[in-house]
Amino acid sequence: MKRIIASLLSIVMLMGLLCSCGGKSQGLTEEERNIIVIWHDKEEAVAEALLTELQNSLPEVDIRLEYKSNLTEALKMVGNDPKAAPDLYFFAHDKIGVYAEMGILEPITELIAKEKLENACVGITLDAASYKGEIYQLPIYFETLLFMYNRLYMADEKVPETTEELYAYMEEKTHGGHYGFVEQHSTAYYSAGWIHGFGGYIMNGEGKPGLNMPETMAAMEYHKKFVELMPGESEYATVNTLFQEGKAHSTIGGPWLVSASRAAGMDLGIAPMPVIDESGIPVSPYMGVQGVQVLKYAAENKTDTVKKVLDALMQPEVGIVLAKVSGCAPAVKACYEAEEVISDDVVMAMRETAENTIPMPNCPEMDIMWTVAADMLVNINMSGQDVKESCEAAQKKAEELIDKMQ
Amino acid sequence: MKPLKTKKKNTILFSYLWSMPSLLLICLIVIFPIIYTGYISLTNMNVYHWFTYDLIGLKNYREALLVFDSGFIPALLLTILWTVVNMVLQLVIAYVLASLLNTKGLRLRNLYRTLLVFPWAMPGYVSILLWKTGMFNSQFGLLNQWMEKLGFSPIKWLAGDGIAFICCTVVNLWLALPFMITIIDGALQSVDQSFYESALLDGAGWIERTVYITIPSIRPIIAPSVIITIFTTFKQFDVIYLMTQQAGAKTGAHIHTILTYAYENAFITNNYGYSSAVSIVIFVILIIFSYVINRKPKEEV
Repeated sequence: MKRIIASLLSIVMLMGLLCSCGGKSQGLTEEERNIIVIWHDKEEAVAEALLTELQNSLPEVDIRLEYKSNLTEALKMVGNDPKAAPDLYFFAHDKIGVYAEMGILEPITELIAKEKLENACVGITLDAASYKGEIYQLPIYFETLLFMYNRLYMADEKVPETTEELYAYMEEKTHGGHYGFVEQHSTAYYSAGWIHGFGGYIMNGEGKPGLNMPETMAAMEYHKKFVELMPGESEYATVNTLFQEGKAHSTIGGPWLVSASRAAGMDLGIAPMPVIDESGIPVSPYMGVQGVQVLKYAAENKTDTVKKVLDALMQPEVGIVLAKVSGCAPAVKACYEAEEVISDDVVMAMRETAENTIPMPNCPEMDIMWTVAADMLVNINMSGQDVKESCEAAQKKAEELIDKMQ
Repeated sequence: MKPLKTKKKNTILFSYLWSMPSLLLICLIVIFPIIYTGYISLTNMNVYHWFTYDLIGLKNYREALLVFDSGFIPALLLTILWTVVNMVLQLVIAYVLASLLNTKGLRLRNLYRTLLVFPWAMPGYVSILLWKTGMFNSQFGLLNQWMEKLGFSPIKWLAGDGIAFICCTVVNLWLALPFMITIIDGALQSVDQSFYESALLDGAGWIERTVYITIPSIRPIIAPSVIITIFTTFKQFDVIYLMTQQAGAKTGAHIHTILTYAYENAFITNNYGYSSAVSIVIFVILIIFSYVINRKPKEEV
């Protein structure tokens, strides 16, 4: 008897195991078509504002906003699996190339007429959202790095206009645990501004690395003397804490730093990027466009609902609300008619600065460059290795790794 | 004779049937991924052929072996050094602490035990980053605050290779000791006290008792745990990566184990075929390593 029960139980368990691995029948019900899952990696305030706006304008659609801390990796794993993948995701434009090549993204122009997009959005955001001639993203807002200073130490008229003035200020003020200026000097995203200011690039739009260009090397050589007057650690937490605690007088940071600093009671000033004396070009950081991408499966099977959501996202109200909570510049032109946007100095500074910046490359090769360029920066800035040798070695490594992507 | 044979056959059959669910589960979560990785390593699955990949034979292996270039040998040597240093320190410190826990007449024994096991309760990721920012950060870290109070100039704890290696070892010890202490503590309690009594009568000192009684008695009990720990130390990725190489927070130290080296030279390419080939090669290295390590205890048995 015992044996029979045991056999039965093990058979049942086996069946259970096998069944749970089984597939689901095809076709969506009306109810399922009405559910839109959106993955994002934004701060809670931004997500909450976005959800409220969408629920207000589309009460009939079941919007599910899900936070994913490792969104990019998760999408690579499940992007093609309708059961696990989201319908839309809200992220920066720089991963478009990877997912477009993988074949999981629907060009956004299949869902919104191209003219409508071109009329509605700021031009530079659509350039950033294009990969190989197709637009894959509905831009919501764009962001870049800003020059920020603490008015407690740096008066408005003392704000350096050129990098040499900045250096003089740093020399004068950096002592006793205080720093004249701090930045994440050995991170590719932050250093790109200096490289662009010399006319170099980490990677151009065609996916060609430019680490050994004479311009890039000149930027690295020039930037070194600034690094010497900054703390050894260059990671996010250290740099931001130094600035927020009033130990660093100025910094280059993203919009997320604005609200945090103001909440901490700082009298924060925002100024244009200093101009590099040697080249006459300001420090020109990368620009990122945050927006919504649509996955192929959702575009094909939930077409009407997705269109409704995209339409709702293009309403100026969404851009205005999100600009306010994120401190970024809205991508929809009509937002700039609203008083609350025009009067917001951060948003307007962002738009002004961003229009003169360079969109992050969105080709798949860029994935490699973040690591390779950061290694090069660490070698030059922190390990004191020779600029030319490090740049040549990094370029060679980048080319090798790009070769291995195929 | 015949019915006995069928009965034996039946027993075997049934035992397989009863263990089938767990065997199947093991196959699904252990064996299948290895075989699948092996299969992917023979394809050209990458960003450009994500869902439409084809079998391309051993091309990936040809390229994977190129990863094991001039930089790989130092990484392998460092991995071995890392494993040896960590294991020796772990065993010695855990043994001393476990012996102290077993001192006769010790008060609050259970409190110490709980405290010593505490690092285990925290997720490794959190502990490592806490150590990195709380202790070693050159601006805000506790160590540099002390240095400053004592009148020394601050040190960049994670910027040099040697010093970063020591810091990573300290963190790894902190993470790994609870397990070792628990195991040795348990093993010590299982040693028959009468051995010590007769040794004492014969006039044996502490060293003799340790070398001739304690260590031989606990060795078979702790051996499996030591082997498991050697493996986790050998394939350690997160301590070294998070402490010195995390994206956006590199510290300037260039300590690479085979896994961090493979990560920087293969996995960031998004070429899964190629990365799988590298993984399989590392897997083979681990198998060889385990064979070498496992051989000795078996001979002794």
